[in-house]
Amino acid sequence: MSLMALAPLLAVVAGALAALLLEAFLKRKDHELSATAAVLALLAAGFFIVRSWGLELGYFGGRLSLDPPALLLMAVFVVAAAFVILMSLVYAPRRDINLGQLCGLLLLAVAGLMIMVSSADWLVVFLGLEVLSVASYALAGLRRNDRASSEAAAKYFLMGSFAGAFFVFGLALLFGTSGELDFVASLSGSGAASGSPAASLAGLGLIVAALFFKIAIAPFHMWAPDVYEGAPTPVTAFLTIAPKAAGLAVLFRVLVPAMSRNGDASTLMTVISVAAVLTMFVGNLAALRQKSVKRLLAYSAIAHSGYLLVAVISGDGPGLVFYLIAYLFMNAGAFGVLAAISGQGVERTTLADFAGLGRRHPWLAASMAFFLLSLAGFPPTAGFLAKFYVFSAAVAKGHVLLAIAAVLASLISVAYYLRVIVAMYMQDAGPEAALERDDPALWLVIFLCLFGVIQLGVWPGNLLTLIRLAFSVAF
Amino acid sequence: MRSLASVPIVSLITFLPFAGAIFLVFIRGGSARAVRAVALAVSLLTLSLSLVLFFGFDGASGLPEFVERASWLGRGLDYHVGVDGISLFLVMLAAFLTPLALLSSWRAIDDRVKEFSLFVLLLETGMIGVFVSLNLFLFYVFWEAMLIPMYFLIGIWGGRRRVYATMKFVLFTMFGSLLMLVAIFVLHAAYYRATGSYSLEIADLAAASFAPALQTWLFLAFGLAFAIKVPLFPLHTWLPDAHVEAPTAGSVLLAAVLLKMGAYGFVRLGIPFFPQAAASFAPALSLLAVVGIVYGGLMALVQKDMKSLVAYSSVSHMGLVMLAVFSLNLEATEGALYQMLNHGLSTGALFLCVGILYERTHTRLIADYGGAAARMPVFAGLFLTAMLSSAGLPGLNGFVGEILCFFGIFAANRVLAALAVSTVILSAGYLLWLYRRVMHGPLVDPGDARLRDLTGRELAYLVPIIVLIVFMGLFPGIFLRKMDASVSRYIDGLKAKPPIAMALDLPAPPVLEPTAGVELER
Repeated sequence: MSLMALAPLLAVVAGALAALLLEAFLKRKDHELSATAAVLALLAAGFFIVRSWGLELGYFGGRLSLDPPALLLMAVFVVAAAFVILMSLVYAPRRDINLGQLCGLLLLAVAGLMIMVSSADWLVVFLGLEVLSVASYALAGLRRNDRASSEAAAKYFLMGSFAGAFFVFGLALLFGTSGELDFVASLSGSGAASGSPAASLAGLGLIVAALFFKIAIAPFHMWAPDVYEGAPTPVTAFLTIAPKAAGLAVLFRVLVPAMSRNGDASTLMTVISVAAVLTMFVGNLAALRQKSVKRLLAYSAIAHSGYLLVAVISGDGPGLVFYLIAYLFMNAGAFGVLAAISGQGVERTTLADFAGLGRRHPWLAASMAFFLLSLAGFPPTAGFLAKFYVFSAAVAKGHVLLAIAAVLASLISVAYYLRVIVAMYMQDAGPEAALERDDPALWLVIFLCLFGVIQLGVWPGNLLTLIRLAFSVAF
Repeated sequence: MRSLASVPIVSLITFLPFAGAIFLVFIRGGSARAVRAVALAVSLLTLSLSLVLFFGFDGASGLPEFVERASWLGRGLDYHVGVDGISLFLVMLAAFLTPLALLSSWRAIDDRVKEFSLFVLLLETGMIGVFVSLNLFLFYVFWEAMLIPMYFLIGIWGGRRRVYATMKFVLFTMFGSLLMLVAIFVLHAAYYRATGSYSLEIADLAAASFAPALQTWLFLAFGLAFAIKVPLFPLHTWLPDAHVEAPTAGSVLLAAVLLKMGAYGFVRLGIPFFPQAAASFAPALSLLAVVGIVYGGLMALVQKDMKSLVAYSSVSHMGLVMLAVFSLNLEATEGALYQMLNHGLSTGALFLCVGILYERTHTRLIADYGGAAARMPVFAGLFLTAMLSSAGLPGLNGFVGEILCFFGIFAANRVLAALAVSTVILSAGYLLWLYRRVMHGPLVDPGDARLRDLTGRELAYLVPIIVLIVFMGLFPGIFLRKMDASVSRYIDGLKAKPPIAMALDLPAPPVLEPTAGVELER
């Protein structure tokens, strides 16, 4: 019981409020001040996260507990948010996006995510989910004069509300049958009214569906390509990483005990395995046909949700977190490059815009190639090791067919990731595009992501130890 | 050579080209000439280090020498390298051909020279890494990573249909290797279940025995990856495309080294891990190999393009190597290894020769040539030697390898041996016919001044191969002696497999055992 357990959350929320208030009341159009406040808040949150390591802090009677896996994921969110702010510093003003609002909303979303991953209580998780959702609807629609962005926000909002309703309805069923709000207690059948397992299973099903929606698991992924494509590029990077990580963490906390204790484990397992396979193939097959790199990456994000779900199915917590961290670097990097090649106020996202990039901007193209090869899972990049750990854990748990499906899906993905590389290196240069060369923050993000992708691919030693430690100590 | 023991020579050879590639990146505004010179110097240094390996190699024990180990990722995923009699010469082949490939591209590649040299050096690291790996995970990392430089080499500097060819190459190869990856997962899990400790050491896995059903599945997964790489009929269709479109240096390294990885994979992993499955699949695979020998030879006869002719001859020759590998006896295996080196040298030389002709006339169609021998007498001599080596003329290296292969194959299966001998006739047929059409007869265009004889640079990369071809034909003992112990260890290992010690049935049902990671709630 310590207020320290709330420190990261409070830092982020304070940062969000500061950013929004600075934006609202400062007459000067100095958006960078809000951004500075947001970055400072993230640094503070990061500091508190590191300080809380190993202390097993909890608050609200243990309803909010900072166990090591939760802290790891919170660190992922903080880094992702910092990347997004750095990517937006130049990107946002050039597209009439209010940087202050972006930072404020982003930090609110991070607050929601932190709540989601640090609780094992349905209501608290729902609270986090709603905070996240509201913030991310607004984030998706930040480019107010852009129709695609508004459409994305509207779509996200409508579908998201449905998912929220599913979650509440499912929660009602679970609470009604068990009288418990705790993940395990509500599912273990030991509650007050354990007489109707069917209702409890239906409740769990509805909640899982709502989470699947957040993670963009087929068949609940329909919103994702449009939202990811319509949202401003840095926001898309955030949406493809952070909510997915939080949703999977919740799913992991719920399903792994449920699958090992519940009598209906095999049904549940089958359903989720089918969803995982469906997601990988739907995402990858649809990505094959895309002409826009942004949409291609959107579908690839769906496919990666499928791979990540494999880690949940095999109960491989360390693999899941390692994959998420690797994915953070490679995906943020790819979207960073996408933001970099967009010119002044123009979005350049088609494959044709990438033509000849290898000649025009060798470093940028090489970075993009690294990110794509990592997404495709080639060694020696982070993406390979991530896939290696997740799929090998699946095989070790006996899910051989699932692993085969996953590697075949990866093979499909190689085809479209390489298409982008073909455009960059093997096609002739398109019209000379003006790059935002005066954007050191964006270069920094790309560089850090590149560093992460290579370092995690070649020598992930310390991080891997840390993650394994987190899961072995905590549980 | 005790003094050498302290120097990590194998790692040096493996990563020196990689370091060179990194160095190239940071050459600022250097001329193409400087870049080429640096790349060549790095590859020559690698070659000289590999000579140290050759002379320091003892080979009496048959065990890997120059071994280096380091823990890397834990749980069996470790860094472990070394060479034995099976891998030594393949390492040397890669180290020997890379500088020649770079030299051959001196003029042919003048666009993005820095990137080209970089990818060739990265490819060298990948190729050598595959052969020196003694840990399965490390092997797989190199095996996959090597695809990337080759992908760029074909895709950027290739011919007209380069994008199609390079995509086909990558997707074909990856299809096989991804299934192999799943098989590696199964091995990892099975080994852990049976022994309680993690290991992906090749020696450990070769010493273990797996249940027959499991062996079948795993052998199929490994075998598919290797068969695509060899390539075994009918999985060869990527090869002619890749060869025809690749730049000369790419074709040389592809044919000479990359194809060997498939056969090497069978000898190093597929067969020792799963000997019973290998023995039961050997007849079927031998049949495919024979079909490949005849089919490749017949296809080579009717090609109009010189490069695709050489490519199909590769299908045919690698068919013979595979047939020898699946004969599973000492002579045949040694012959297969020797023949792999021969094929690397002779096919490499043939691709270089085709490249030399192409640089002069910018056509590879046989019909566009005639009487070139009159203008290029030195070239004609070297070209002919390379062809005769490929066709197995006594006195040259090809003969030694083929005769060893045939002895072994004959001992295993007489019918297949009889069919396989057709390769001698077929290869003599398509190669000498090619020679007659290109080099003899009347000059197509007597006024054409483009057909000059070899320059000094061209001699510098062609002559070493030809010298080695003759040397290996005259003194095979020097090479075979270093292989002997390792190959007999390999053959003995197949015979003396202990009875089944572990089993993991496939497909395993989902297991719901609570483990450390499962206990999420406190």
